[in-house]
Amino acid sequence: MRWLGAVVAIASNTWRDAIRSKVLYVLLFFALLLIATSATLATLSYVERERILQDVSLGAIRFFGAAIAIFVGVGLVHREVDRRTIFTILSKPVERSAFIAGKYLGLVATLWALLAVMSLCFVAASLLAGAPLDAGHAIALGLVAVELAVVVAFSTLFSSFSTPFLAGCYSLGIYLVGHLTRDLYAIGKTSSSPAAREFTFWVKRALPDLEAFNRTLEAVHGLPIPAVEVGWSLAMGSAWIVGFLLVAVMTFERRDFR
Amino acid sequence: MERDTIIQVRGLVKDFRPGFGLRKKRVLHGIDFEVKRGELFGFIGPNGAGKTTTMKILMGLISATQGDAHILGHDVRETAFREHIGFAPESPYFYDFLTGAEILDFYARLCAVPKARRRERVREVLSLVGLSHAADARLRTYSKGMLQRIGIAQAIVHDPSVVFLDEPMSGLDPVGRKEIRDLVVTLNADGKTIFMNTHILADVETICDRVAIIVHGRIAYQGELGGALPVGERKLDVTFSALAPELAEEAESRFEAQLSGRGERITLRVADKHLSELVQGALAHGAVLEEVAPVGIGLEALFLDAVSGKLRGGAQ
Repeated sequence: MRWLGAVVAIASNTWRDAIRSKVLYVLLFFALLLIATSATLATLSYVERERILQDVSLGAIRFFGAAIAIFVGVGLVHREVDRRTIFTILSKPVERSAFIAGKYLGLVATLWALLAVMSLCFVAASLLAGAPLDAGHAIALGLVAVELAVVVAFSTLFSSFSTPFLAGCYSLGIYLVGHLTRDLYAIGKTSSSPAAREFTFWVKRALPDLEAFNRTLEAVHGLPIPAVEVGWSLAMGSAWIVGFLLVAVMTFERRDFR
Repeated sequence: MERDTIIQVRGLVKDFRPGFGLRKKRVLHGIDFEVKRGELFGFIGPNGAGKTTTMKILMGLISATQGDAHILGHDVRETAFREHIGFAPESPYFYDFLTGAEILDFYARLCAVPKARRRERVREVLSLVGLSHAADARLRTYSKGMLQRIGIAQAIVHDPSVVFLDEPMSGLDPVGRKEIRDLVVTLNADGKTIFMNTHILADVETICDRVAIIVHGRIAYQGELGGALPVGERKLDVTFSALAPELAEEAESRFEAQLSGRGERITLRVADKHLSELVQGALAHGAVLEEVAPVGIGLEALFLDAVSGKLRGGAQ
């Protein structure tokens, strides 16, 4: 109960801190700008205007959501150490695991709030353009929320032991490779080199498959999204989140704060 | 651990690696000390002596390489007992977008102070540290002295029985220093055991019951402020009347004494091991012994002796 109380206190404070970040608002502005611009871009096309609008908008939401998650996430723990606010927190009856969990949940809550703002903008743009909206769009946006939670988890892990610059490099690397694991694996399978096949196999195993959260194509084209696949994505996302946070806690437990 | 021993440190060793691939550097060489219930304990030493490292080990912020440390009978690596201790770091930084009342509420929540009690407790503590007027001001508008006071306020917001203060008077003007000093004395009078890291000797001398002096990661002295030197080396002021001037000069050179006073009363400051011989000799030549008074040992002298290596261990 005390653990939970500390998590809630740290999470709400992280929320208050995060929503003051200027980077966050700059990126949000560009995301909203791109969604608004997509409506104009769609008018330049003679065909599939609604699909262009939704494709560009969902892409903007995913890209800027991830950018915010990485930009804010990589400094999440480091900033507390650097500003020495961590001294007064960890000298209280607060487990280090509660600190990591609180910071993580605070930032996830912030990102989900921003995602809600971007989603409302997406819905408004779709309605104005007369584009169809159905459950597929809701599922696609829901999976973006899960993907952002995964991105924050590995950003938090890197932030727990590294500087923001290095944590940013690691996080960006995992994000990019995480979206390419399927392609890499497919390429590897067709390779004649056993080493290449082995390498791409282990890359797919060792890194989160972030494309599993990308359902833009199905949502935009009105294709069915099987519930099993959604469930599998949710389970995989949850497992990666727990895994990244456990490693973050183990790393953080061993740290000296000099 | 004795019932009244609040802090017990035994054989504490800490090694740091200055950088990747570099050799470890030992910053604490097996230090031992104890703090008793209700004491206002000064932990002093020059810069880089290991004061803050020791404090951070006690606060669970860094781990010891060897040895153990207990507070209130609990290993410092535990977490739950920290509801009974408070810590104010040196030059504290807080979330400056919060107000004084909000930051104290945050720390009270971390210490699981019940919601019904929090508001009242925050008000009490703000009043105690003299910041009631700034309760709703953002911390970014606070002066250094006010931040130092809010730092102490967050350390006591959950009403701990032991309070650790790291350089609480550092960087403050004389008025600010006095305010913090008075606050520390008030907390101690309220029954809290205080452990204070500092290098401002005047403050320690004024308010502390006992001190430990740490030099190069070793405890050079631990005990009360007086009585630091072993018997035989303590200084005494011996005052005579009717002491012949030539006899006084002879005693000055023979006993390495410091001569002062003129006319009827002459005072010789000598080591206590020479007392008997000096007095017997003077009385034999018709002098009258007026007074023998021990010379108080200033903390500065004690500190300088410790730093120069004249003290090792001291009065335990």
